Amino acid sequence: MKKLTLTLILFVFISCSSNPEPLRYGKDICYSCKMTLVEKKFGAEIVTKKGKVYKFDDLNCVVGFYNSDYEAHENMEHILVTDFAHPGTLIAVQQAFFVKSSEVRTPMAGGIAAFGNKEDQATQNEKWKGTLLEWPDVIAEFK
Amino acid sequence: MKKLLVIPFLCTCLISFGTAIPVGSTHAVKTIKQAIEKASHGDTLIIYPGVYREGNIVLEKRLTIIGKDYPVVDGENKYEIFTIHADHVTVSGLKFINTGVASINDLAAIKVLESNDLRVQNNKFENTFFGIYFANSTNCRVEGNELKSDAESEHQIGNGIHLWKCEHMTLDNNRISGHRDGIYFEFVTESLITNNYSEGNMRYGLHFMFSHNDEYRNNTFINNGAGVAVMYTKGVKMIGNTFEHNWGPSAYGLLLKDIRDSFVTGNIFKKNSVGIFMEGSSRIDFKENTFSENGYAVRLQASCDDNVFERNNFSANTFDLVTNGTLVLNTINHNYWDHYEGYDLNHDAVGDVPYRPVSLYGMVIEHMPSAVLLWRSFFVFLMDRAEKAVPAITPDNLKDNSPAMNPYDFHKAN
Repeated sequence: MKKLTLTLILFVFISCSSNPEPLRYGKDICYSCKMTLVEKKFGAEIVTKKGKVYKFDDLNCVVGFYNSDYEAHENMEHILVTDFAHPGTLIAVQQAFFVKSSEVRTPMAGGIAAFGNKEDQATQNEKWKGTLLEWPDVIAEFK
Repeated sequence: MKKLLVIPFLCTCLISFGTAIPVGSTHAVKTIKQAIEKASHGDTLIIYPGVYREGNIVLEKRLTIIGKDYPVVDGENKYEIFTIHADHVTVSGLKFINTGVASINDLAAIKVLESNDLRVQNNKFENTFFGIYFANSTNCRVEGNELKSDAESEHQIGNGIHLWKCEHMTLDNNRISGHRDGIYFEFVTESLITNNYSEGNMRYGLHFMFSHNDEYRNNTFINNGAGVAVMYTKGVKMIGNTFEHNWGPSAYGLLLKDIRDSFVTGNIFKKNSVGIFMEGSSRIDFKENTFSENGYAVRLQASCDDNVFERNNFSANTFDLVTNGTLVLNTINHNYWDHYEGYDLNHDAVGDVPYRPVSLYGMVIEHMPSAVLLWRSFFVFLMDRAEKAVPAITPDNLKDNSPAMNPYDFHKAN
C-alpha cells in the first residue's frame, strides 16, 4: 500500500514538472498562428511554472504571445528558441544572440534568427549583413 | 479588314523567328549548357531524349527550351537544376529528377529569380526538393506540370510550387503530391490558381500568406497533412474548390486566420476533421458551399465578426457549427441543415422556427476536448435536448432564422 501511495505521489510530482519538451517538427502546431512546425532552424517554446508547454514556429509568434496578457510573465519558467546554427537545439532566449535581416526567411516572415553563441551569430551575419539583437530588442521589434 | 489581320500575323512571325538548336547525344550539341552558350536571344533549344547530368544550369538568355518525349535532367541529389534569370523564357516537356537537398538554400528543379513573362509548361518533376520556385517575378504561367515527391520526413522536403514576392502569376492545371506544401504563396498578389490537384502533401495542399487579391478556383485538395491554410490576407476569392479528406488532430479542410474581405463560394468540404476553422477573420462571404461528412463543418472562433453564412448545405456533419464565445457578430441565414427538426406549416420551403446550429455538447468539447469520450451517450443526448428547449449556455443569438427545408441544388442553372 505504501509503495502504491509513493508511486502515486511520485507520479503527481512528475506530471507537475515544468521541463521543456523537444519540438516535434511535422506534428506540433504553433500556438499563435496554427501552422504546423516544419523548419528545424526556427521554432520556440514557452513552458509555464505549472508545466504547460506552448510551442511556436517563429519569433514573432512567440513574442506576440509574450506581449499579450495571455500568460503572466512571472509564470513563464522557460522561454526557449531554436539555435539556427544547430537545428533542433533549444536555448534560453535570455542567453541567445539574434540577427535581424531581410535575408532570413522564417516561417512567419518574422525575419529574425537566434544563435547559441556570438561566433555563430557573427559567421552567419557575414552573409546576411543584418542587425544584431538581444532578447529585449526582439521583444521591442514586435511590440 | 483583311489587311488589318495580316499585320498582327506578320508581327507574330517576326517575333518567333529564331534558330532551333537540337540537343542530344546524336546531335552536334551534346549538352544543354553548350546549347545555352551557343544560343542567342530568341532561339529555341530542342532537347532530345536522354539523361542530362550537368549540375546547376544557369540560364540568362531569352530562350525557349522544349523537350521531346521527356528527356531527363538529373540533379544527382546534389544540385539545383535550372536557375533562370531572364525574361520571356519557356521551359516545357522536360523531366526533372533528384535535386539536391540543403537546409540553408532552397534548391529547386526550376528556380526563377527576378524575371518576367516566363512559361513553365507540361514538365514532370520527380523527387525534387523544391519543384518550381519563383522569387520577385511577374506575369508568369505555370501550367500542366506534374510534381511528385516522396515526403517521408517533412522538414527534409520543400514545397511543390513556391512563389515569393510575385505578381500577376497564373497556376493552372498542375498536379502536386508528396511535397511539404503543394502550392506555397508568400507576398504574392493579383494572381490566379485554377484547376490544380494537390494531394498527399505533408503539410498543406495550399499555403497562402500575406497574399492579397488572389483568386483560386476549381482546385482539388485531398488528403493533405493539414488541409489548406489561408492566412494574413485580404481580398481572396475561393470559388468552386474541393477540400476533401483532410483528416487528423490539427487538420482542417480550410484554415482561415486573419482574413478580411473575402469570398468563399461554391466549394465542397467533405470528410474533413474540421471543414473550416476560422480565427481573427472578418467580412467574409460564405455562400453556396456544401459541407458534408465532416467532424466539425465550421469552427468559428469568437475573434471573427461580420461574416455571412448564406445558402450553404450542411449535411451529415457530427457538429455543424462550434464557437468558443458567447457574443456572436456573424450572420447565419437561409442555410440547409440536415439536423433541423422544425416544420414548415405555410409550405414556403423555409422552416418556421429558427435552427440553432451550435449544440451544447459542441461547446463543452470546445472547452474540454477530452469530453468527446462521452459523445453519443444518453446523458449527452438529454443535455442537448434540454439546451435546445431552453438555451442557457449556447449563444442565444447564434441561429438561422430562416433555415431551408430542402438542400439547395447548386448545379441547377438559375
